[in-house]
Amino acid sequence: MLQNLLEPTPLPPSVRANRLAIGSPEYNEILDFLYDEAEMLDNLRLAEWGELLTQDLEYNAPLRHTRSTAQFDQTYIRTVQHLHESYGSMMMRVKRITDTKSAWGEDPPSRVKRMVSNVRVYKTDKADEFKVESYLLVTRSRFDFDYFDLIPCVRYDILRRVEGSLKLARREILLDQVVIGTPNLGIIL
Amino acid sequence: MQKNSERTLADGTRISDLINLETREVAMRTLSDPELYELEMERIFAKTWVFLGHETEIPKSGDFMIRDLGSDSVLVARDKDGVHVSLNVCPHRGMKISTLDCGNTPAHVCIYHGWAFKPNGDFIGAPVEKESMHGKLLSKEQLGLKKARVAIYGGLIFATWNIEGPSFEEFLGDAKWYFDTLWCRTDKGMEVLGPPQRFTIRANWKTACEQSASDGFHVLTLHRWLSEVGPYRKPGSEGGGGDLTPEMYGSEVYTAHAHTMRCIELDRKIRRLTGKDPSELSVKEKLEALPPPGVTQEMIPELLRNLSEDQLKIITWRPPQVGNFFPNGLFEFVYIPTPDGVVGVMALHAYVPKGPDKLEFVNWILAEKDTPPQLKATMLRLGVQLLGTSGMVEQDDSDTWPHQTIAAKGAMSKHITLKYQAMYETGKPEGWPGPGDVGDGFTKDDTQWRWWQYWHELMTAES
Ligand code: FES
Ligand SMILES: [Fe+2]
Repeated sequence: MLQNLLEPTPLPPSVRANRLAIGSPEYNEILDFLYDEAEMLDNLRLAEWGELLTQDLEYNAPLRHTRSTAQFDQTYIRTVQHLHESYGSMMMRVKRITDTKSAWGEDPPSRVKRMVSNVRVYKTDKADEFKVESYLLVTRSRFDFDYFDLIPCVRYDILRRVEGSLKLARREILLDQVVIGTPNLGIIL
Repeated sequence: MQKNSERTLADGTRISDLINLETREVAMRTLSDPELYELEMERIFAKTWVFLGHETEIPKSGDFMIRDLGSDSVLVARDKDGVHVSLNVCPHRGMKISTLDCGNTPAHVCIYHGWAFKPNGDFIGAPVEKESMHGKLLSKEQLGLKKARVAIYGGLIFATWNIEGPSFEEFLGDAKWYFDTLWCRTDKGMEVLGPPQRFTIRANWKTACEQSASDGFHVLTLHRWLSEVGPYRKPGSEGGGGDLTPEMYGSEVYTAHAHTMRCIELDRKIRRLTGKDPSELSVKEKLEALPPPGVTQEMIPELLRNLSEDQLKIITWRPPQVGNFFPNGLFEFVYIPTPDGVVGVMALHAYVPKGPDKLEFVNWILAEKDTPPQLKATMLRLGVQLLGTSGMVEQDDSDTWPHQTIAAKGAMSKHITLKYQAMYETGKPEGWPGPGDVGDGFTKDDTQWRWWQYWHELMTAES
């Protein structure tokens, strides 16, 4: 059925008992990963960022709907999404920027800050995988416009340890806006 | 007495002064003027049929969704009789009836004072029935939501406030012959693969919509990256990248009410896939070699049955691949080369006006109902990657339109003109069986110019 083909692999639950203590060595390592990733993306080191991705990457940004409180779980739409990416398609997005001279939607590039906070890390039943929740506030400044586009979201990531280093294996980005307030998602979240 | 058609803007400019019908130019000011915007809402969006969505978005009785008909929010709801479109504003004191995006309910109850309405807009009643809180001056029949006129065509929902105006078929005119090859080709028809993506662009609606009227030229430069990396890249060609020029050849159709389309030639693709000269292949053989987007081999007999010989000729030679519904709809039925062969992508856009300097881009992705799930999923993913919010192609469009809108305000730049002077000179291609005005060969400006001609006609019409 179509629904099953489109839905990402379910994320493991965020169980309090599995939470890594803030300040523990593994927590700090993961925080470093997120900060370094933000720095790479903010500074257009996209090829380097591509090396952080696993080959089985699932990278999604569901649509949001305004529904009643009783139907809160129906406010996430995972059929059509804003991003519905695999490793191949994500690398295609990277190459559009790094390997062409006419990616006009981001050339000249936006000035972007990715502010990462509220980071929580959970052990999963796979010893080499962590579930990581973070808030992300993106500010995007384009040309000489006197305003910033704001893109607030929550990210649910799976980080996997591959040959000693952490890689991004899955990411789901839950945007706050139903009608996205930036002209495109030509930047990576 | 001044004619309505000579209505002037506050500074004395006549609308007909903004557009030069001889030299095919439009004053830049048109792209951002707030006074014109207000007039457009009355003279265009309250007069023509406007595309709102697809009936498969609301399949069950009681299902509803909120959409925009021009600058007005409307309730699009289904009951056992079909789909209804009503103003999403309470006739009591003007509260928005539904503040949700969609849902299912047999009664829409206004949260302000509790007046309730059926999915078809009829007034049910107010709380405390015996006290008749709506008074006695107006009957219940008079207290319903304001209703629009609705047309469903190939699953697409259109509506208009022009209750006595032209029928939907008249509005489509010659475009219908072509649109039938897209929306009415299979037995079961199409479905949306999910709700639409929505995002805001700080640009006037016409920047997007004049482009939607089949601007072929912009693909060569604004979307040039397509030739540099990815599916369209042909290694070894000039500049390390390929050349999109071959994609610019075909036919372009433009009709009286400014519905237009680019019918891009398939001959090269079919020659590559079959190794044969397309002129030696039958319609059936060509359909089998390269089925239209979303169509499988099993569905080809349906196409052969549902379309005329002339229509089949077009869809296997130069099928409509991108085009528009005037005023603010766009469709794409494109063939994308991928490592696993050609995959079709089908999308619809509405560019909803949100004030003189803002539009909402709404993007639906579709497939035939009978398209196998695996192919639907592939089409959807490819659609998301190329079109809409994060689409690698349409990112470039959405970054361009704000600049045009800002430029339209400059004291000097508002007087310079948009030019549509590349003209077809040879008439219809030989053997072209379809109606409407048709250009042959390399893309030109006639389709977009038709868009502005009709804009002008409506904006200066006697109302
Ligand atoms: S405004 Fe809707 S019931 Fe009063
Ligand atoms: Fe475009």
